Amino acid sequence: MLLTQVLVNGILLGGLYGIMALGMSLIWGVMNIVNVAHGALIMLGAYLTFWTFTLWGWDPFLSLPVTIGVLFVYGYVLQRFLLNLIVRAQLFLTLLITFGVEVVMVNLARIAWSSDLRQVSPDYAAANFSVRGITVPYVRLWVFCATMVLSVLFLLVLEKTRLGLAIRATSEELRAARLTGIPVAHVYAVTFGLGAALAGAAGGLWGMLFPITPVMGGALTLKSFVVAVLGGLGTMMGAIVGGLVLGIAESFTATYLGPTYPNAISFGLLVLILIFRPTGLLGRRG
Amino acid sequence: MRNSARRFLILAGATVAIGVMATTAPAADEIVVGSAISQSGKYAREGKFYVDAYTLTADAINKAGGVKVGGKSYKLALKLYDDQSDPNLAVRLFTKLVTSDKVNVLLGPYSSGITIPASTVAEKYEIPMVQGGGASGKIFDRGYKYIFGTLPKAEFYFQAAVEAAAKMSPPVRTAALLYSNEAFDRSVADGTRQWLKDQKIDKIYDEEYQPATQDFTSILAVIRSKSPDLILVAGHEENALNFIRQSQAADVNPRMAVFTVGPPTGDFRKTLGKAAEYVYGITPWLPDMDVGGEIFKTARDFDRQFQERFGYQADYHVASGAADVLALKFAIEKANSVEAKKVRDALAALDVETLYGRIKFEPTGQIAMGQVLVQIQEGKLVPIYASGKMIGKPVYPTPSWSQRR
Amino acid sequence: MAGDRIPIALGAAALLILVATPGLLSPFLVQFLINLFMLAALAESWNIIGGFTGYASFGNVAFFGVGAYATGVLLTTAELPFALALAAGGIAAAVFAALVGMPILRLKGHYFAIATLGVAETTREIVYNLRITGGGTGLTMPISRSPLPFYYLMLSILLATTLVNWWLSSSRFGYGLIAIREDEDAAAAMGINTPLYKTIAFSVSGGLAGLVGGVFAYWITFIDPEGVFKVSTTIQMIIMAVFGGAGTVAGPLLGALVLSSVSEFLSTQLVSLAELVNGLIVILVVLFMPRGLAEMIRKRQFSLRDFARNFREYRV
Repeated sequence: MLLTQVLVNGILLGGLYGIMALGMSLIWGVMNIVNVAHGALIMLGAYLTFWTFTLWGWDPFLSLPVTIGVLFVYGYVLQRFLLNLIVRAQLFLTLLITFGVEVVMVNLARIAWSSDLRQVSPDYAAANFSVRGITVPYVRLWVFCATMVLSVLFLLVLEKTRLGLAIRATSEELRAARLTGIPVAHVYAVTFGLGAALAGAAGGLWGMLFPITPVMGGALTLKSFVVAVLGGLGTMMGAIVGGLVLGIAESFTATYLGPTYPNAISFGLLVLILIFRPTGLLGRRG
Repeated sequence: MRNSARRFLILAGATVAIGVMATTAPAADEIVVGSAISQSGKYAREGKFYVDAYTLTADAINKAGGVKVGGKSYKLALKLYDDQSDPNLAVRLFTKLVTSDKVNVLLGPYSSGITIPASTVAEKYEIPMVQGGGASGKIFDRGYKYIFGTLPKAEFYFQAAVEAAAKMSPPVRTAALLYSNEAFDRSVADGTRQWLKDQKIDKIYDEEYQPATQDFTSILAVIRSKSPDLILVAGHEENALNFIRQSQAADVNPRMAVFTVGPPTGDFRKTLGKAAEYVYGITPWLPDMDVGGEIFKTARDFDRQFQERFGYQADYHVASGAADVLALKFAIEKANSVEAKKVRDALAALDVETLYGRIKFEPTGQIAMGQVLVQIQEGKLVPIYASGKMIGKPVYPTPSWSQRR
Repeated sequence: MAGDRIPIALGAAALLILVATPGLLSPFLVQFLINLFMLAALAESWNIIGGFTGYASFGNVAFFGVGAYATGVLLTTAELPFALALAAGGIAAAVFAALVGMPILRLKGHYFAIATLGVAETTREIVYNLRITGGGTGLTMPISRSPLPFYYLMLSILLATTLVNWWLSSSRFGYGLIAIREDEDAAAAMGINTPLYKTIAFSVSGGLAGLVGGVFAYWITFIDPEGVFKVSTTIQMIIMAVFGGAGTVAGPLLGALVLSSVSEFLSTQLVSLAELVNGLIVILVVLFMPRGLAEMIRKRQFSLRDFARNFREYRV
């Protein structure tokens, strides 16, 4: 019975991990930019949800579209006017600049909103139901459903819309995309915007479960790495599968090995995957 | 080449000069007390308590005539840096305070984890430090002579709680111990194991967690499967907040749940709202305690002044910080000198009543003070157990989450 | 190498001054210099794998931390004399780097960077969980009263790392590394044993960082996992090397000098803004001077047009 509870816990959290990694995987896959500021974008989304909830009483689930929209615009602008300037530089420079962006964002948040812990706690926050001795908090279940819905929506956009086509074309064959008149600078910016929007959604959902602080993003960026690599960089389904795998792995490790081990296991897993199967669980070889 | 070389030399020289510029020396009629305290980072919340306490107390001392040495009145000046909750930065800042800013005496940082290395700086340079933010015995068991602390020993934190648990009716039989991988909390856990053994309470769960943990779901799942009567959690405020919220969602219902940090703080109760009800906490100080002394006549008086100035209720962190500043004032006056060694000796021999209670340090440098077990009832702190006796009526066993709806 | 004579003379003069004067300087300045030497040595050590070989490791702090802890544990638990503990720390870090490097150096680009990051994080988590390292509580060293031994030690290590870089810039091994950076396949085709070269570079880079870590541990008297495995330490190493000029000999030194002075100034004047400004510096350096100060000085490219040149090359 404990086993089932642990499994359920892992799956519910795994959905959230998946959507966190989805944004990072997209940006990495299309533009070969590793966005170290990913966690900061998640943090921004969380704060947005918090402030709309606290100042205007908006329900955190209902304010998600707004969070998504704002983060999209933010991401678009960031890419269009900053990151586009160094897109073709050596890889580690893009990594370095996103580190800088992360530090700036986190410190601005700290100055603007202080390091105090914030929490979004609507009335239904602790409500739960039990099925055969397994307790499931409602919020976690709805968060999981939200992640699934958003993921599917996102995949549809990528597969079925012209925009999605443009994005995929640009990622696969940049020169050809340019030649066919695709405005690459714009497409890149939209891609980053989408990635940021997903991060924002993840942040909004995360904020319903855990406290919000300016420095919450660091650990989440690393987790997103693990999930993205685990599932297979650039494959969207991979991010979701990777998330579930990590969620379950962490849940089991915490319960049966001890609460101090999950991080060591996740990072160790990252290194092992990179060594033995860098394309991840679902990635294409080569 | 020569042009660029010269340009570079100028650039390099300028930057080095700038980097080295910021040094200050204390004014002639001031006694400077220095500290690096967590004004940002993971301890920012608790750090603020100390900044405010130090500020209020220094101002109150100055208003009452300052510190008297050799017949002259000196103004007490504070020099506070932000260690960003980073022990390494704290070490550098404390070193700067001692070597460059040349402060007379030191106040402590927050958390045992930062106080352990910070006190090493004090000892190294032989400048006395009085701290009220670190309780781990590890701060004081190295034979250092220049460190003094106003928080009672971490190892004793849960003693009152465990004793009270054994005296409840029906008495507690099983306990779960959960603690953070940090100096203070490990010390608390070490001591607690002894208290549980003494009271013959069965320890059915004993686990350590990472301080940065936000998700206690797995831990709660295991605890729930073992159904302990008593849950003891040693961690910082953020941990306690998360744990309680998630225990509600996971439907974990112990008869008694005690936390080392959190419950006595007004902010904690405000953040949790109704979920904070029936939670137990530990504190060596309460505003309505019958204690008082110079500068602040009573604990109530202190609390009132503090609330007027800063807008929130004082808790034991605040009182402890105030006590530190007072201890330094009294020691300097007793020694009638600001010479480090003399002040140090005066601190070691200090025995004075204050708003915080009796300040008297053991030979190790740590204060010996009892803890009070309190419970949150209707948003207020109710003292339940202290000095070996029940002094209040607990709501026991804690009503389950479903019963409270 | 006539153009090198002036910088060498300057360097020698500076060295002489640094060696002769610590007793005359204020304790604060001594602290500042020790910290400066440390950062410069770290930047120079990173330069070996990141600058010369072109494998941008984002996890070099792992070796710094391993050196710190190895030295620390031997100093406290085994009560070895410091010299022995330090040597062992450096060797431990070098061995660790070699072991880790063998599988990881097969990866390229982002994968390598992320893998090194993962190594640093995993190492920190492992140290957190071990009893012998004191876990989250950290390790406290015996107190040492005078900072002068550390001053000379750090200076010596800085000298050593700079000399290693200098040797690389004109030796066959160094040219091999540069060849790997410029075109690894061509280098392999020319007969260079690329896995061996890379592993040696990584190991030396790690070993030197480990030595710095060992001295740091004793100097600061207290280490904990959060302190010696910080990601921001690696970023500092990298940005200093990049700012000064990655792949050059004096670049990382220059970068460390300028950036740590600025940082020191900020952390005392504008305490809460210090980190923010550090982040802005990183962004500005990457945008405007990714090839570093050394390159700018060498080519005398200080005008605005030169700054903007980078955009044309790197933008979308």
